[in-house]
Amino acid sequence: MTRIMLGSAVLRGTVVGILTTSLMSTSALGAPPVDLSKWSPEYVRSIAGTQDFDTAGDCAKVTPLDYKGRLTFWYQGVFEGDPDLLRQYYKDFFETFRKTYPNIQLEEQALTYNDLLDKFRTALLGNAAPMAVRLQILGGTEFASKGYLQPLKPEDVGYSTEDFWPGAMKAVTWDGVTYGVPTNNETMAFIWNADIFKRAGLDPDKAPATWDDVVKYSKQIHDKLGIAGYGLVARKNAGNTPYRFMPQLWAYGGGVFDEATANPTYKEVELDSPQSKAALQASYDMYVRDKSVPVSALTNQQADNQPLFVAGQLGMMVSHPSDYNVMLDLQAKATGTDKEKAQTVIDNMRYGLIPTGPDGKRAVVFGGSNIHILKPEYVEGGKVDEPAAKAMICMWASPEWSLKMAYAGSNPGNLNGFKTKWMKERLEHIKFLDVTTSMLPYGIPFPALPESPEIMNIIVPDMLQNALTGAMTVDQAADDAAKKVKDLMGGL
Amino acid sequence: MSTIAEATARGQTRRRMRIDGWRWAGRIFLLFMLLYTAVPMIWMLITSIKSGFAATQFPPQWWPDEPTLASYQKLLDPQNSVGQDFLRFFWNSLFVSTVTTILSVIVAVPAAYAFSRFTFPGRNFLFFAVLLRNMFPAVIFLVPLFILMRAIGLVNTHGSLILTYLTFGLPLAIWLLKGFYDNIPVQLEQAARIDGATRFQAFIMIVMPLSTPGIIATAIYSFIGAWNEYIYAYTFLSKNEQLTLPVGIQRFFSENTTDFPGLMAASFMMSVPVVVLFLVLQRYFVRALTEGAVKH
Repeated sequence: MTRIMLGSAVLRGTVVGILTTSLMSTSALGAPPVDLSKWSPEYVRSIAGTQDFDTAGDCAKVTPLDYKGRLTFWYQGVFEGDPDLLRQYYKDFFETFRKTYPNIQLEEQALTYNDLLDKFRTALLGNAAPMAVRLQILGGTEFASKGYLQPLKPEDVGYSTEDFWPGAMKAVTWDGVTYGVPTNNETMAFIWNADIFKRAGLDPDKAPATWDDVVKYSKQIHDKLGIAGYGLVARKNAGNTPYRFMPQLWAYGGGVFDEATANPTYKEVELDSPQSKAALQASYDMYVRDKSVPVSALTNQQADNQPLFVAGQLGMMVSHPSDYNVMLDLQAKATGTDKEKAQTVIDNMRYGLIPTGPDGKRAVVFGGSNIHILKPEYVEGGKVDEPAAKAMICMWASPEWSLKMAYAGSNPGNLNGFKTKWMKERLEHIKFLDVTTSMLPYGIPFPALPESPEIMNIIVPDMLQNALTGAMTVDQAADDAAKKVKDLMGGL
Repeated sequence: MSTIAEATARGQTRRRMRIDGWRWAGRIFLLFMLLYTAVPMIWMLITSIKSGFAATQFPPQWWPDEPTLASYQKLLDPQNSVGQDFLRFFWNSLFVSTVTTILSVIVAVPAAYAFSRFTFPGRNFLFFAVLLRNMFPAVIFLVPLFILMRAIGLVNTHGSLILTYLTFGLPLAIWLLKGFYDNIPVQLEQAARIDGATRFQAFIMIVMPLSTPGIIATAIYSFIGAWNEYIYAYTFLSKNEQLTLPVGIQRFFSENTTDFPGLMAASFMMSVPVVVLFLVLQRYFVRALTEGAVKH
């Protein structure tokens, strides 16, 4: 898909305006450093590399560089399977922080994506939490509403609220108070294997236009080639599931609440609406009727789809641009004939916009992470070194590091990151980045509610599992999930 | 006469065939069990010598086209961060498991002996009470124990794990050893006492040597339990430098990808101490389990 096509697709999208408004709407919209209304691959390219930033100088205004202190910090880390490039940036960041603030004793701990929330909850119960934590976008309101977090807004760490995506700021706001600073925000894209498409009789360079097409393509691939068509995931308590199912749900016009509208109120539960049921039916059709998705989908997450894709056993999936970098790493480390086979997979990898629903609605989860500061009473030792925490947050959320730390798989939380020279370099080196940045205006944040982790990680996957295993019909599963959400919101 | 002899011979043949049939069925069953237990280990080993790309190929490469020891080199190289972490996790696991094992034996041996030899008020109640904890899933004690460890300042220390593993491992260790002591004739100790030994001397010089297989079995049991434990280590420790291997090897899983060869190499190396320990000491382990079950 060319950049021109992508750009026009962005402009053409009938619902984009509404969704963009949703992402942009804040109570006091100032002047963001970039013009979000012009968002397109061309615009992103035009602003990349246009401004320099002095990270240490900016953060020195928040916490003096000779400040002496101690900071305990947990974050969702990068590990062995992640792109080498990204792991190097994480390493560089902590080295740079230690050099910039040589008198701050930093005790950082990386945790895996699926474990962070549970481990953090347990630590809070024992008042043994770290002073600062970087959580996935879903987590902030849960802990803010329970009183664990200190109020913290971008202005406290030297930035302006308008420097960040308005949708991301919503995710760190509870009851009118801001409790965190976004570090990175991303939207995923649709990935397919052109060779599989070709062999299955599909246009190898054209992504399915609608989710109904995904169902059809998946069946066609499975019927003709005997492999899985679409990489459906339905694992419980794994963030990957809502990130892949909610875009489908929203595209069909459904939702958990009205989170896909410009000004959501989160009052009415819509999981049992005909539109939500249609989305669930599409998953049912792929898994039960057509058997065209991996049989292990019920316990799969993206980490399970990727090997299938690499092995040529999966035609389509929803994921980050980092998948491309992972493939490059695998190819670089392969030897002999494996190297050539890996190159073939890379050559056949295609990225496109996530399909629309029957009415042309396109949606994707507006994901990301935020940093928060804990209240002293929940922290090991009973003390929080606020200047040290703010120094760390200032640095991570800076235009430079919010971009570098999101180099391969996400986007800078700080919009100024798009203006840096590293963004320009990134656009040249990270193939398909255009596609995922093009999806940003279609991004819908998860409901900014304390119950969101329970809804997205437990109730929604449960609904999928109930329908796909035949424990319930599609209607029953959707009704059951809607009732569970109502009960949860009602405090039951 | 010859008819009787032929009939007898036919009967014996049929019996032998029946016996042979059962024997062959047993052999096939054992072969199946061997495959069932050995194939995953072999597959783990084979995957660990593949490249990341080769590990994900389908149909799988039963033997890698391009075998590589890169994952092992990475894990054992103290110069890179992966190797540094892995070796540290390995040492932490070894330390926690060894201390747990030593303390477990030190506590279980006298406790089991007391239950076996002495009569005291509440003996039966106490004996069954030690098993009470094992009647509940370990996970329900997770948060209460975490809060307890926090209160006594043991969170983020290996002491929290050693204490927890002792709590979980001791009941079975005491039961195992008590069965063993029950089978050592009390007359042996009485003879030693007549010869002038104190009760403690009789215990050390007569009972302990005879119960060596039981003690070794208890030690193996404690070591394996501590070596493999995940959920408490995961909950109680949050500092990278303190993590044990079962938690540490999680680093091969990411949000969207898994480093399968690295994971398999780490898992294989993690299984080595346990396998070696078991192979070296298995005759004691089997003897302890069987002797404790039979009353002489």
